[in-house]
Amino acid sequence: MAYVSMGEAHRRITEYLNRFCDAVSYQDSSMLCRLLSFSSNSPSLLSLADALNVFQDASSLIRQSDKFSEYGEILAHLFRSLQSYRVGNLVEAYLAFEKFANAFVQEFRNWESAWALEALYVVCYEIRILAEKADKELTSNGKSPEKLKAAGSLLMKVFGVLAGKGPKRVGALYVTCQLFKTYFKLGTVNLCRSVIRSIETARIFDFEEFPRRDKVTYMYYTGRLEVFNENFPAADTKLSYALQHCNPKRERNIRMILKYLIPVKLSLGIIPKDELLQKYNLHEYMNVVQALRKGDLRLLRHALQEHEDRYCIVAVFLRSGVYLVLEKLELQVYQRLMKKIYIIQKLSDPARAHQLKLEVIAKALRWLEIDMDLDEVECIMTILIYKNLVKGYLAHKSKVVVLSKQDPFPKLNGKPVGS
Amino acid sequence: MAAEQKATKEEVKMDLFEDDDEFEEFEINQDWVENEEQVKEVGLQWEDDWDDDDVSDDFSHQLRKELETISADKK
Repeated sequence: MAYVSMGEAHRRITEYLNRFCDAVSYQDSSMLCRLLSFSSNSPSLLSLADALNVFQDASSLIRQSDKFSEYGEILAHLFRSLQSYRVGNLVEAYLAFEKFANAFVQEFRNWESAWALEALYVVCYEIRILAEKADKELTSNGKSPEKLKAAGSLLMKVFGVLAGKGPKRVGALYVTCQLFKTYFKLGTVNLCRSVIRSIETARIFDFEEFPRRDKVTYMYYTGRLEVFNENFPAADTKLSYALQHCNPKRERNIRMILKYLIPVKLSLGIIPKDELLQKYNLHEYMNVVQALRKGDLRLLRHALQEHEDRYCIVAVFLRSGVYLVLEKLELQVYQRLMKKIYIIQKLSDPARAHQLKLEVIAKALRWLEIDMDLDEVECIMTILIYKNLVKGYLAHKSKVVVLSKQDPFPKLNGKPVGS
Repeated sequence: MAAEQKATKEEVKMDLFEDDDEFEEFEINQDWVENEEQVKEVGLQWEDDWDDDDVSDDFSHQLRKELETISADKK
């Protein structure tokens, strides 16, 4: 921390106070945003923090002037937060920021127009980030993390403030997305339900009115929730929306969307082109796509196993819900393999091609390093028939699958398996 | 440069399966210009007619050989 003289400290604090109060008086939202973005670690905020830590009694400065004391409570909490932030007391910083945020939101409610909406966004963002840092501090001190949860409550309060008939309502989707990020981080995704219900059913909201960037983020998260709930057609719609409307320069975001969208598409029988996988560095999915194209079960198992071993994060993968979707692809790969066997048989003996001997299937599977006895093969075939991936019936005694002469391997056509 | 690129690739490769997947914030005061063509292009990156009857690939050849040995065994 740089040395600051009392005189300089006084100057810096007064300058900030003037900027803040002028920003409010002249409804200068961008200025206000800059004044509140702690996480930006801007030189001016850091130098203000140093000044505050030297001066120590900024409250007296605030009290001395009518102009400043109008926002006395807001400013006092803000300063305390910034001071703590600067010296790395993140729990203290969070607590003070929470008080600031509450006071700010009260003030925001009284401002009739929506001029300060962007500044409110900054407050929402900063409180979430500070809460995460505070929780890290708590955890590292052996204490139980609870600040992010508290931030979630505050964000809900802000949502409530914006959920009205006036122009402020277009801000509700931004806050919703901050809530999503909070709940996903906490693992309490069930809490997303109530905001989603508000956004999608409350009459005051018209989804089209919201800013595009918030719609994209919203669709990404609700799309992911649809994946968790295995509603693949809905997941496809939402994640595709996010993909189509995402800022094309934000490749990391696009990649995240694709991470979830690709397994969804695969389970609907649609595969991504190689160029897409290459462009966004999604090599992990290349083997899976190959396996599906070819009917190569060994490759599929290898692809899923590789990630298990290599990254040792099966639990993580499971939580993200993607693994379960990929596991389900196995049935589709079986279908493809059966189809290949059928086509190959047609080439040498077209008259009997529609009869698949379980023995033949077992041999093919063994070649792919999948050891199954005839009962197990029969079981798999039964499942494929049941799920309408294979049309035909099992002649149990003769240990043969008799395929339908017409369309024995129905395409999914954009519908998930077994629907 | 090549080493750097490889390092980034490795980093990015591991990223895919990290739990976070937190969507990055978009700039608040700037909206991006949507290019109609770009929007359409993204939609064309998928194939739904890949499930053809083509068995000319390596895998199918090997599968065929494997299945023929069964019939050979029987004879």
